[in-house]
Amino acid sequence: MLQNFLTLFPEFSLLACLVVMFFVNRYREAKTARTFFTISKIFVAVALLSTVVFYNMHPFKGWLANSSYTTMFKAVIYLLALPWFFLSCKWYFNKNRLTYGFYSLCVAALLVFSLLISAQNLAVLSVSILVLVIINYFLILQKENDEEQTLEIAHNYLGFGLFFAALMLAGTFILYHNSGSLSYADIASYLRKQPLGIEDVCAVALVIAPLLFMLAAAPLHFWFAGVISVSILPVSGFLTFIAVFAYVGALSSLVLQAFSPILPLLNPVFVVFAFFSMFTGALSSNGESDFRKLFAYSSVYHLGFVLVSLVAFDANSILSALVYLCVYALAMFGIYTVFLGLKTNGEYLRKISSLAGMAEVRPYVSAAFLIFMVSLIGSPPMLGFLGRLSIINNLVVEGHWAMMVIVLSSLLLLANSYLQIIRSLYFEPRATTFDRIDKGIYICLFINLVIVIISLLNPGYLLHDAEKIIVRFLQ
Amino acid sequence: MNSPFALLSLIIAVPFIGLLFALTAKDDEAASSGRNVLNVSIFAIIANIILIFRIFMLIDTTKPGLQLVEKFNWLENPQINIMFGADVFSMLLILAVHLAVLIGFVGVRNNPKQQKTLMVFSLLFLSMSTGFFVAADIFSFYIFFEAMLLPLFMLCGIFGEIKKSGAIYRFFHYNFVGALILFSAVMILYHYKNGAVEISLLSKLPLKQHIEYYIWAAVFLSFLSRIPVWPFHSWLAAVSSGIKNPLVFIIANIMPLTGVYGFIRFLPKALPDAVSYYLVILEVVAVITMLFIALIGFIHKDSQYKIFAYVTVYYVMYLLGIMYKTDLILLNIGYSVFSYLIIVSGLAVINYYIHQQQEEYELNSEGFLCMVPKVSFVYSYLILAGIGLPLSSLFLNNFLILSKLMSNNIKMGMIVVFSLVLVAGSLLQELYKLRNNRTECAIDANPCDISPARFAFMIAIIFVLIMSFIKPLWFVVGS
Repeated sequence: MLQNFLTLFPEFSLLACLVVMFFVNRYREAKTARTFFTISKIFVAVALLSTVVFYNMHPFKGWLANSSYTTMFKAVIYLLALPWFFLSCKWYFNKNRLTYGFYSLCVAALLVFSLLISAQNLAVLSVSILVLVIINYFLILQKENDEEQTLEIAHNYLGFGLFFAALMLAGTFILYHNSGSLSYADIASYLRKQPLGIEDVCAVALVIAPLLFMLAAAPLHFWFAGVISVSILPVSGFLTFIAVFAYVGALSSLVLQAFSPILPLLNPVFVVFAFFSMFTGALSSNGESDFRKLFAYSSVYHLGFVLVSLVAFDANSILSALVYLCVYALAMFGIYTVFLGLKTNGEYLRKISSLAGMAEVRPYVSAAFLIFMVSLIGSPPMLGFLGRLSIINNLVVEGHWAMMVIVLSSLLLLANSYLQIIRSLYFEPRATTFDRIDKGIYICLFINLVIVIISLLNPGYLLHDAEKIIVRFLQ
Repeated sequence: MNSPFALLSLIIAVPFIGLLFALTAKDDEAASSGRNVLNVSIFAIIANIILIFRIFMLIDTTKPGLQLVEKFNWLENPQINIMFGADVFSMLLILAVHLAVLIGFVGVRNNPKQQKTLMVFSLLFLSMSTGFFVAADIFSFYIFFEAMLLPLFMLCGIFGEIKKSGAIYRFFHYNFVGALILFSAVMILYHYKNGAVEISLLSKLPLKQHIEYYIWAAVFLSFLSRIPVWPFHSWLAAVSSGIKNPLVFIIANIMPLTGVYGFIRFLPKALPDAVSYYLVILEVVAVITMLFIALIGFIHKDSQYKIFAYVTVYYVMYLLGIMYKTDLILLNIGYSVFSYLIIVSGLAVINYYIHQQQEEYELNSEGFLCMVPKVSFVYSYLILAGIGLPLSSLFLNNFLILSKLMSNNIKMGMIVVFSLVLVAGSLLQELYKLRNNRTECAIDANPCDISPARFAFMIAIIFVLIMSFIKPLWFVVGS
């Protein structure tokens, strides 16, 4: 029993973080933006360390399980969260606001992500999704002013989120009713033995749909661009490149461990979602004048790319999806870091036209922006090429020629949307002044670029161990 | 023969390292007295040229096939090995490109506007194009093929004065689509071989017929997207005529060379059926394009467009020459391209200088050269060498390429010769206009001639051209 609790040390440390933050907020008078960042970074670092230490221990068998595979996802999430917390602190400094709400919600989200990834049971999954919907709702409400639009979008999100969480609970209930268990392993053996009825298929669909909704896979992406657009920058970043790892990790665990017997049935569904995501993302990003929204749609596109790769759910496909996700996260992290540096008179910029001529006065940040965009379209010599190569290679291995053509043509559409930003950054005359950029932003960009260069020169760092872990997990 | 000290990797890395130094060098616009960024960039190129000479010393110029081969395991899953190799032909092109960019650097020496950006992207282009010319497997070939796009796109966008027109978008779309098509072909080929695919072994892969047709169609389309052949010519024409910066003009006009080189590397000596099918179409399209652009160049008044027409017609001629692939023809093309790139670069720089002076002193073109004897000498030499007079390696090597074309297809050969005569006529027309002093222009005006340092540099370039006429590989000991 004690071992079970000890194995949950990472989760407990995050829980302890929430408690400490609560008391500090309640009783400490001299609070700055940095106070809660300092607390959260210590506890998240401890969580990261203990996740690695207890990487293969199974707390509460049948409910949660840790393996190298889950640890990989969790570690990436913590590693991305730490620098993002640091950068978010800059935003709060600039706005001179307290950070309690943001950091406590993010730490709570990290805690639920951890449970979501380790989940071996539909009950854990469903409750985690429900809690995440609520956390996301409050994160969206971390608004700058009392904007009505933000409230409206947050309420809409909550409504749809609760609806999908309810669907998941309903699917969970049906599967429990039919199989007599909620654990992934029991459900898998139930699906393997039984000739499938329409009820089972519907239940599986009800369980998967909310995950796709959280992932913002088209056509269930309708909330994403709006939320990213109205949320404050720290929240947008968190939802864009940190949360996605948790959902992909949870989805792949669920499909591989619970729904693997009906994988042939699920494959076309994922293909449809993937294509919708790619085309909707690429097309919608072309019509955007708000660059945050543009990148939100671009995220939908990239998610489609990941889904295309995941479809087969074998070692190759999971590896290529993971590689692409890492490349995406690094590039998106870089782009959001750049966003934090784009200010005029203390106000963060949003419009593509407001970037006009930025390369003249902020050449390094503009160059970083350019590099990350080129990386996102997978063009060599940037790291994104590795992601594209990995996914297209997987499609060719599977013999999906038509998919390859579709993927590449949607890539062209996406590249066209980035062209608008490049044009504004480099080819237009300067229209406005830009505020000084914080050193921390330069440091983060530099470190990000160094990681990109090292990974590009020797992709083995990125791939080799990940491949071993995936193969072991699938065995 | 394997490369000592990974020299081929080194010549890719040196411009990139130069780029990093240029990036951190003090900006010229801020410190008007110095030319830090330019000097750092020139130093990087000269250092690389020295390395290139060293490679020429190491390779056996009489031997066909790639030498100084370097192999690296880049990726384990999928297993991708990067392979570099060089022969006389590829090294000649690398040297020519380096010299062309060096000439371009000299051309923009007094132009401090956004010089850091200009140098950084130029060096990136140089690094990527060098990688492209030494790539020996399909993956590295593709990587460098697409990687060249970014610096060129940025250069054309920033310095091309074509921002408002759709040319920059056309440029990007044509080339990006071409690169994606090549990527799909590369991935398919990779899976047929299941591992590293050397370009030289491509034609030996046992491909199914429909796959073979697709692969060759993809290869043709992607390389043609770089060459100004109809219907792909529109981007380069629009981009070239809008570029005022000589360095960017030079780099933009190196781009078609990558398409031509792609054909040289990919087309096997014994052409498969699928290739023969496409070759016929390509020949017809190429000849029509050549004639069409030569005519437009002849009629057009803009000197920059005339140079563009000249560039295009020559590239198409090289492309046609490649189709009769023999070692001798390839070597002749290599020698010819070497002089040709230097001539085009020199013309671009001098042309830019003339335009600058004309704008500054509000002069028209007629008789301008009479006031600037040094410019007049260099310009006249370059034009006369460019049209194929015995002043550079263009003379003999073009003669051999044309004779091969004519011996294979006399009608096509005649059209090619006619097109060459037309572009030669258009260049002579321009020279005549600039040297014609019958008009009353500029009696009071006193435009500056080029500085002694720049004139000395141009004389050195002329020396290189003369030597290439006497012996194309004059700089290689014991060649």
